[in-house]
Amino acid sequence: MGEISNRPNKRKGYLGAAALIIVLAGLYWGLLHAPPDAYQGEVQRIMYLHIPSILTAYLSFFLVFVGSCLYLWKREKRDDILAYSAAEIGVLFTALTIIEGSIWGRSTWGVWWTWDARLTLTAILLLIFAGYLMLRSLTEEDNRGASSAAVLGIIGFLDIPLIHMSVYWWRTLHQPPSILRPDKAPWDNIHPAMLTALAINFVAFVLLYFYLLSLRFRLGELREEIKARWLNGEN
Amino acid sequence: MGAWGFVFLAYGIVWCAILIYWLTLKRRLRRAEVELAQLRTSEESQTNAQT
Repeated sequence: MGEISNRPNKRKGYLGAAALIIVLAGLYWGLLHAPPDAYQGEVQRIMYLHIPSILTAYLSFFLVFVGSCLYLWKREKRDDILAYSAAEIGVLFTALTIIEGSIWGRSTWGVWWTWDARLTLTAILLLIFAGYLMLRSLTEEDNRGASSAAVLGIIGFLDIPLIHMSVYWWRTLHQPPSILRPDKAPWDNIHPAMLTALAINFVAFVLLYFYLLSLRFRLGELREEIKARWLNGEN
Repeated sequence: MGAWGFVFLAYGIVWCAILIYWLTLKRRLRRAEVELAQLRTSEESQTNAQT
């Protein structure tokens, strides 16, 4: 990898500022503006975190999948850095999704956890990518570690279609999709103010995700340059 | 715990975790930048000493 220039951080700054503004707008809409649910009451507001965070985690693991495939094909270090960076942030968002779901489940189902198919498969997703991160931190031989992790990243991504379909294939406590349904438009399934709150929070999470990813990717680039310079110094 | 208690618990955990991750990431990035700058300086001084 070539030397990394000190590129201006202006674009990252703008992205971070935009993410912050939309996050604040999302908090306002989610906590104050959107009406409470007719059945669940105020606790349904956890949905404005829960859905955006799991969709962001899916996006993250999709980038791990793409980066891993490209790395195994072309052996470009940038693709490996992308996969590693996306995996780290994906683990954070998956863990947060499980925590939010647990709190929501405690208030609506009466339990913090149940061995429901969707919950269990999401926990497996978290374990796979936690294993991915452990593999990266434990493997000293760099290229072999990156290749093994890429294979694990591709296998881990295959859990996501299972998570999505689990509510159709098995009898689960977790409800099937209630907003994005094939038989009705989203605005026919939910109050417009709730849909707006969900959309704003989704945009906020995606912007925040790309901001964090840009920082993490930059860290990966810097680490690679440091490693390359150390190796050059030794030779 | 009331309904709002669950809501604030969820929002508090999520935003605290994201804030902590962001701060940690910034610190890791700063450390890497300092380390790289030191390496560049030491390499330059070695090159200058050789010439």
